[in-house]
Amino acid sequence: MTEPAPPPPGRTIRLRVNGTEHTVAIEDRELLVDVIRRRLAMTGTHAGCYGGDCGACTVTVNGAIVKSCLMLAASVDGAEITTIEGFSGGADLDPIQEAFWAEDGFQCGFCLPGQLFATRDLLDRDPDPDDDVIRGALSGNICRCTGYVAMVRAVRTAARERRAP
Amino acid sequence: MIRTDLRYHRPDTPEQASAHLAAHGDDAVVLGGGTLLVPMLGRAEVTARHAVDLRGLGLDTVTEHAGHVEIGAMTTYHRVHTSPVLARRAPLLVRMAAGITGGEQIRNLGTIGGSACHANPSSDVPAVLVALGATLRLHGPAGHRDVAAADFFRGAFATDLAAGEFLASLRVPHQHHRAGYHKLTLCEGSWPIVTAVATLDPERRGAEVTVGAAKAVPMRIPLTTLLDDAGRLDVGGIEALVRHRIDDPWSDVLADGSYRRAVAGAVCRRAVAELLEGANR
Repeated sequence: MTEPAPPPPGRTIRLRVNGTEHTVAIEDRELLVDVIRRRLAMTGTHAGCYGGDCGACTVTVNGAIVKSCLMLAASVDGAEITTIEGFSGGADLDPIQEAFWAEDGFQCGFCLPGQLFATRDLLDRDPDPDDDVIRGALSGNICRCTGYVAMVRAVRTAARERRAP
Repeated sequence: MIRTDLRYHRPDTPEQASAHLAAHGDDAVVLGGGTLLVPMLGRAEVTARHAVDLRGLGLDTVTEHAGHVEIGAMTTYHRVHTSPVLARRAPLLVRMAAGITGGEQIRNLGTIGGSACHANPSSDVPAVLVALGATLRLHGPAGHRDVAAADFFRGAFATDLAAGEFLASLRVPHQHHRAGYHKLTLCEGSWPIVTAVATLDPERRGAEVTVGAAKAVPMRIPLTTLLDDAGRLDVGGIEALVRHRIDDPWSDVLADGSYRRAVAGAVCRRAVAELLEGANR
């Protein structure tokens, strides 16, 4: 009879996600995106490439936007994380989300969480970006549906709304 | 997702980190920002069973010294891009960091140190470090060891790192001259195909261009033969000189060596032209 393989190395980590403390048992090899989606059952964060290219897995870790498919969950024990479920901080939509809605800035929605995080990161730094700057800020996020034109328009609208709500 | 039974280590001291690396040899990898390593583990391009995370070693600071700036190996491109010290003392590094692709999400994770250790020929960091005369401080079982950037890059994806060693910091001399910089990319998000750093000393006695991504390692090309008695640079002679010097160009899936060799001269010429434009103001 063959022996079952020993379980892979693992540990318990603490993550504060959208303001809520979670204690979660993980495997050392698990990616942060997979812990968020599978262990915490928060599937708004998407896994599109596992290569750090598409940006659909974007979340914030300790206040900075990152691609969560590039991080081992074990390396962010104790971190403060915001996912798309916590993007607006409440039941209402954030002005950036409202702008993407108003300008038809998305179609299937798969890339949308990452685009929203990249947009907010931009507007927090630069409240009045021109189109070239907007495109540069979104260059870490790939969209297969829209062709980006309406998305850029949505970012401009969001910037305007944030400057004069 | 990673399918090997990876064990994660988070050492608290450089000695612990080197001990883990030495103990596990080829079965251990250094985890820095993770932007290169993690996808490679997922694709089984790297099959190590131990990951040694340097996050706990405090290697993410930028410190100004007399004559040089010390940059911890875990300093992200974002921190380099926004560092007032580096803006003053090594503006070329700031410019390079600002041009790293993949979005702010990548620049918040990726590190100059990690990119240097990966030593991908078709990347931004190695040529800039060589052009700036940087020194890399390595830490191993026997303690610290300093290596000049020009000696650190040994070949494609090959560095001077020995068993048990990891990169602790980079020392970059204060940049006394403006540098011209140009890189050719295929599209917004692509790796660079050829990069060039052009430097000129204030008395115009020494001119040099450091070419990156055209060969397996960066190459310094003195341009003194193109300087006339008045210190004017024959810009038109650059392309032929550079093409002549690239005898063994780098080929990969992004661009064949014949292409890199064909365009390298033009990239160098643009870097030099930018430098001269700045010098004449």
